[in-house]
Amino acid sequence: MKTNTFKHTIYAGIAVLALGLASCDSGLLETVPNDRLSEDLFWKTENDAKLAVNSLYTDLDSTTAVTWDGITDLAHTNQSFNVAAYIEAGSYDATSSVIYDEWKRAYRGIRGVNYFLENVDKVPSTNTALISQLKGEAKALRAYHYLKLAGLFGPVPLVTSSISIDEGRTLVNTPVEEIWNFVEKELTEAAALLPTTYGAADKGRFTKGAALGLLARADLYAGRYQKAADAADQVIKLGVYGLYDSYEKLYSYAAENNKEVLLDKQYLKDVYQNNVFNLLAPYSQKNAQSTYVPTKALVDTYETLEGKKITDPSSGYDPAKPYANRDPRLKFSVFLEGDALPSGITFQPRPTSTTADAIGSTYIASTTGFNIKKYINTEDFANPTNSGIDIILLRYAEVLLIYAEAKIELGQADATVLAAINQVRNGRTDVKLPSVTATTQAALRDIVRRERTVELAFEGQRLYDIRRWKIGEQVMNGPVFGITYPDATGKLVTVQAASSDRVFDAGRHYLWPMPQKERDLNPNLKQNPNW
Amino acid sequence: MFQNLSRNSLLSRGRLIVALLLLGLSAFAQNIAVKGTVTSASDNGSLPGINIVVKNTLTGTSTDADGKFEINAPSNGTLVFSGIGYVTQEVAVNGRATIDIKLAADTKQLEEVVVVGYGTQKRNSMTNSVSQISGEAITKRPVSNIQQSMQGLMPGVTVLDQGGSPGKSNTNIRVRGITTFNINGSSTSGYDLGKNDALVIVDGIEQRLSDINPDDIESVSVLKDASSTAIYGSRATNGVILVTTKRAKGGKVQVDYNGYYAIQKSNNVPKMMGIEAYMREQVAAYTNAGLPVPARFTEESIQAYVNATDREKYPMPNTWFETMLRSAPQQNHTISVAGGTDVIRTRLSARFQDQQGVIAGYSNKIGEFRLNTDYTVSKRLRVSGDINYRYARALNPTVNNTGNNPQPLNNFFHGTLWAVPKYADGTYGLSTQGNNPLMFNEIGGQSRQVTDYLAGYVKAEFDIAEGLTFSTQIAGRGTFTNQKNYTNSYTNTDKNTNITKTVAINSLTEVRNTLREYTINNLLTYEKSFGSHGLKALVGYSQIGNTQTFLSAYRERFYNNDIGSIGQGANDGTKSNSGNDAEYGLRSYFGRVNYDYKEKYLFEANGRYDGSSKFTGPKQYSFFPSFSAGWRISKENFWQGLEKTVNDLKLRGSWGITGNQSVDLYSYYSALTSLGYSFGGTPVQGYRPTTLANTNLGWESTTQLDLGIDATFLNKRLTLTADYYRKLTDDILLNLDIPATIGLKAPPQNAGSVENKGWEFSLNYRGAASASGFRYTLGGNLSINENKVVDLKGTGPYITGSDIDPRYIIAKGLPINTLWGYQTDGLFQTQQEITEYKATYAANTKPGDVKYVDRNGDKKINADDMTAIGNSFPKYTFGLNGDFSYKGFDLSILFQGAAKVDARLAGALAEMGNQEGFTHEIYTNDYWTPDNTGARFPRPVKFDLRNVATSDRLVIDGSYLRLKNVQLAYNIPAEIVSKLRVSRIRVYTSATNLLTFSKLNKWNLDPEVPSGRAVYFPQTALYTFGLNLSF
Repeated sequence: MKTNTFKHTIYAGIAVLALGLASCDSGLLETVPNDRLSEDLFWKTENDAKLAVNSLYTDLDSTTAVTWDGITDLAHTNQSFNVAAYIEAGSYDATSSVIYDEWKRAYRGIRGVNYFLENVDKVPSTNTALISQLKGEAKALRAYHYLKLAGLFGPVPLVTSSISIDEGRTLVNTPVEEIWNFVEKELTEAAALLPTTYGAADKGRFTKGAALGLLARADLYAGRYQKAADAADQVIKLGVYGLYDSYEKLYSYAAENNKEVLLDKQYLKDVYQNNVFNLLAPYSQKNAQSTYVPTKALVDTYETLEGKKITDPSSGYDPAKPYANRDPRLKFSVFLEGDALPSGITFQPRPTSTTADAIGSTYIASTTGFNIKKYINTEDFANPTNSGIDIILLRYAEVLLIYAEAKIELGQADATVLAAINQVRNGRTDVKLPSVTATTQAALRDIVRRERTVELAFEGQRLYDIRRWKIGEQVMNGPVFGITYPDATGKLVTVQAASSDRVFDAGRHYLWPMPQKERDLNPNLKQNPNW
Repeated sequence: MFQNLSRNSLLSRGRLIVALLLLGLSAFAQNIAVKGTVTSASDNGSLPGINIVVKNTLTGTSTDADGKFEINAPSNGTLVFSGIGYVTQEVAVNGRATIDIKLAADTKQLEEVVVVGYGTQKRNSMTNSVSQISGEAITKRPVSNIQQSMQGLMPGVTVLDQGGSPGKSNTNIRVRGITTFNINGSSTSGYDLGKNDALVIVDGIEQRLSDINPDDIESVSVLKDASSTAIYGSRATNGVILVTTKRAKGGKVQVDYNGYYAIQKSNNVPKMMGIEAYMREQVAAYTNAGLPVPARFTEESIQAYVNATDREKYPMPNTWFETMLRSAPQQNHTISVAGGTDVIRTRLSARFQDQQGVIAGYSNKIGEFRLNTDYTVSKRLRVSGDINYRYARALNPTVNNTGNNPQPLNNFFHGTLWAVPKYADGTYGLSTQGNNPLMFNEIGGQSRQVTDYLAGYVKAEFDIAEGLTFSTQIAGRGTFTNQKNYTNSYTNTDKNTNITKTVAINSLTEVRNTLREYTINNLLTYEKSFGSHGLKALVGYSQIGNTQTFLSAYRERFYNNDIGSIGQGANDGTKSNSGNDAEYGLRSYFGRVNYDYKEKYLFEANGRYDGSSKFTGPKQYSFFPSFSAGWRISKENFWQGLEKTVNDLKLRGSWGITGNQSVDLYSYYSALTSLGYSFGGTPVQGYRPTTLANTNLGWESTTQLDLGIDATFLNKRLTLTADYYRKLTDDILLNLDIPATIGLKAPPQNAGSVENKGWEFSLNYRGAASASGFRYTLGGNLSINENKVVDLKGTGPYITGSDIDPRYIIAKGLPINTLWGYQTDGLFQTQQEITEYKATYAANTKPGDVKYVDRNGDKKINADDMTAIGNSFPKYTFGLNGDFSYKGFDLSILFQGAAKVDARLAGALAEMGNQEGFTHEIYTNDYWTPDNTGARFPRPVKFDLRNVATSDRLVIDGSYLRLKNVQLAYNIPAEIVSKLRVSRIRVYTSATNLLTFSKLNKWNLDPEVPSGRAVYFPQTALYTFGLNLSF
């Protein structure tokens, strides 16, 4: 009897245990993650609005602003199997991942802004100045993306709200003029909402000047020269911007947030870093990648110290000493043979040099014998993938050149135009080229274009300039050349980069194709001509 | 749940075992010696392996090969004779010194019992498609994991053994093809197929196959059709593998030792071109590209290199395979003790495994034990409890060990030419790219991963009434991983070339990963016969709760490379940490009914109602039904004349729906992502949505039809099983591309359908024992699987890869991960041919270049001309095995293979020296030159991709047949064995991957390789010596 009781107790115990455990976990299927932030908890305070805008800055261009020139005549995509090399060579199509990624990134940024603008008014805030400023930042950032999309693809869909999958599948192309109208409108509104300057803790946010500068750039791209000149003039008249004293140091840590910068992508070592050093420095610098390298075409564009083109017989240019007595911006922008590298060694790119930088020693070493110097700072040598250097997206020198170019195109070349150009040519302590005095539109056009090319080399403008000036056929055809050096017999030889013949088809290459993937998903999206 | 398994309960378990062992020893009391022979009642043949136990004690023995036994027993005691397939008999000793007995065959037991979901079934009455292999078959082959030992043995089960470093083996099991894929997770071997892994249930609990000691396995069942898997509902689409571990059978204490020592050798040792041939090929490549030929390749220099004896000054271009690969030992030892009484039975096993890598710096050690215990508390109550603990430690070099191109293996092929592996003075040579895999291995730093694994359960079974049983099982398991990845700082300068490699900063990344899971299974079963009607029913409830946490920390700049504790690194902005948590739950209700009429007409129905926390709203729960039926034609009266020829014949069919819930957690949850930025040098936080949420997410469901036949012939010596199946998987959870204009990442959506259909055949023949004692069995199996994407909801095709890496496509009408690229039509032979053809891949095409087929005739070679060029998953897999025994010798042989499968070569293997990599000897004198126009390979062009774009030229037929295993064993004769006080000694020697027939042999690649650059840890061949002892 006793045993029976005991057994019954056991049975009962097991039953209770089994059933009890089964029911104790009533929330089993309603797991709520604590490793992410629910949308429902957000938009409660003013700070939420600020946090939302902060995230939008991550979509600004980073090193791409530097590397875009790698698919123009100014630089060369060093490795033939890099997808960018197919664009440079003209053999790309609508499936190119470079094109798709650029498209995707821009629309990601646009979605972020749309989402912000749709929700910001939910925030109970009496600080209207702050909310206005945040809206201004968001609008300017959205315009930044559309400016880029219009320049690269032309008539892209204009999306100004958070759209659903079904809406995404039915979007149609918006005529490019409408995109420019939108960009103009947004930047004008933003400029009205934004402050002229910020305190130290907010350096890097969109300012009134940045919005106006961007407006000037947009109008220049759109061929709306009067508006471009007006916007540039407004920036100049703000009186808060000027050229930084040294062109050489403009891309160094010491110059961050200087008076020349209107807009930049801000970075911070260890926290929010870029890899510009590893991407661009010569191979000998801790196996840095030389991903894009300058070309002879760019190097030859720099004038001599006397302000003459090297093709000018009176320039005194000596092919045996090609880099002597040149526009100082050449040696500030490009690593040339004999330069000291961040590691302390000397740059020796000739194929016969036995260093890691010798052309042909490895497929990573520069195939032209040049390397990009802008943003390559010795501070980053210790840890090449951890650079904190801010990447400049818009600076005062460009505003001056926009002003000059727009006025020249308008046929309004007056003293202010020459002053703007000459300020760029000799307004710093380390760039002192003779002032230009030309007066004809053709001569001035030639000057301002060359000035843009060298002043803004590796700053992402060339791709758009080729398209605006319709010079693709001239500059984007044929082989890519590099350094010139004497061979064993003393004869001068010029390096030609391996398997890099370019083909430019004027029928279609002035616009990128709408990405194939995007058209597969949205049949309403029309392809650009001849793609 | 799991935390409750405290140290104390472990300790008390330990004491129990010791007590049991002592009890066993003390039972050897002084008694009389009894001898005898056990023979078969049917044919008088002697019966080896029959257990003899003194009743109610732990004293016991078993018969030797001749059926003889000897045991000490009380003169008034009783001996119990038992053996698998025979009726147990009790015989009173009555003071006799000799007892010869005959055992009758147990017809009931002869019927094979198969483990199925939540129970067992007799093979004869099954209506499902289930393959089963015994633990004996699994341990026959010395392997480092169970997956490998399942290869080639079961139809419908495709095992792809793709090598892997010790402790991180890369073996996939696919049951009846591939049903799903991830399009957002692609790698160099195509789109991610990780969601196709079968569900593995060990003794009722979900585990991983790598979590079990092969020596602890009693049987492995693979449930293939919907009717057998539907009882696992939402997790069953990819098949279910049921593992049952060994338990003590009671009776005498049985001690077994099973151990082996093996030598591993790499199967993949690609051979580099000879130095002279290579250097001349390089001259051709530079010349063809119109580039100046570098100084190294002048005629003078070539002569110097070819004739040099000083290989420090004139190094060979690539010696990494010879330098880095070695023979490496592997050993494995398991000892188990099993025994018990009517009341308590227990089996304890312990294992030690040590596997060294065929590349130095890689190794894995495992130590583990398992204790399985059963109590018979009363006639109606049985209680059991198991516990399994394992410690594993894997070591490997840290250098870029993850990703698609893991170093140092990547460096065997790429970026390491002309480097001296190590100079006599101990410094390392460096390639122009600063690489040296030997240096990375030896001084680059080491990663150490330690994993503690603990699993256990308690279970009670209570007979409520005749035929009605309730059982409850509560289980827990935990995996605790601790990883320390050290990167050393060092500087090495190549003393010949002055190339320097510097890793300036040493660092440590420490990772802790924990997984805890509990399972509760409650089952009520009922079994009863009513005259000619047999009924079996089961209802059950199950719930699973799973939590995982992940924590990682990073610091750098340690005082030196030997100071390696996370707190010792620099305490500044460079230190960082990260972590996340995840949890999910599954709640299920299920049931099954089996009905038979005269064991002739068989019916079965299953259903499971599953709710998962991965879904929300009305999609949270789903129902998975299945039905099956069988007809044993051989039981019909009209069969009577035929039953001598066809002893048993059964037709069966099944239909059912199963699910797959492999979707990332919280996919339905709308959340903001933290995206930080910095203003004016100050970090700021930012938030915004980055992924679209899909609250409408539901299960993937697979509808499967199976038609099968089971038959036995020739006095049940020949058995045949054949199956046809068609599996249609709908609502695949895909991160379907959405227009990028939406600006968010795609959420998973239920979209897309994949079909798998195929045939499976298995034939086994058990030969009769000849008079001389020669016995044999032969078996063969063949699987045919056809996979096709049926629907992608208007999206796709999805293409991953590039011209330099394998391209895969997922498109309607093609198998998943079909190789994609250009078709080719030989090589251009003349300039005129090129001019007329017009369509060239690159400008300046010359004779000797590849002629890509312009499929759309637009005179351009571009993506529009690509087509399917190969199959990445085999259509046919097959196995053939034979076991032969004569006297004390056993020989077993296993052939295994696959057909209609392709491998796409990439990287150095494909680019024939055009870049800076290894150049295979296969290219020697077989590349196009004006004097060698019949060459297999095109002309080399340095730094040019024109001839190595993804095309059918780079796709090699991966079909193979290989002698997977040969094993010869010898059982030491009983006379010698008994003198050693041991009941059995078996020694064996075996070899795996001994012979392979494949087109990839010429490339020195293992045929089971995935496509790509062959930079995986090499597959190995094993040469083993092993020993089994029983006491």
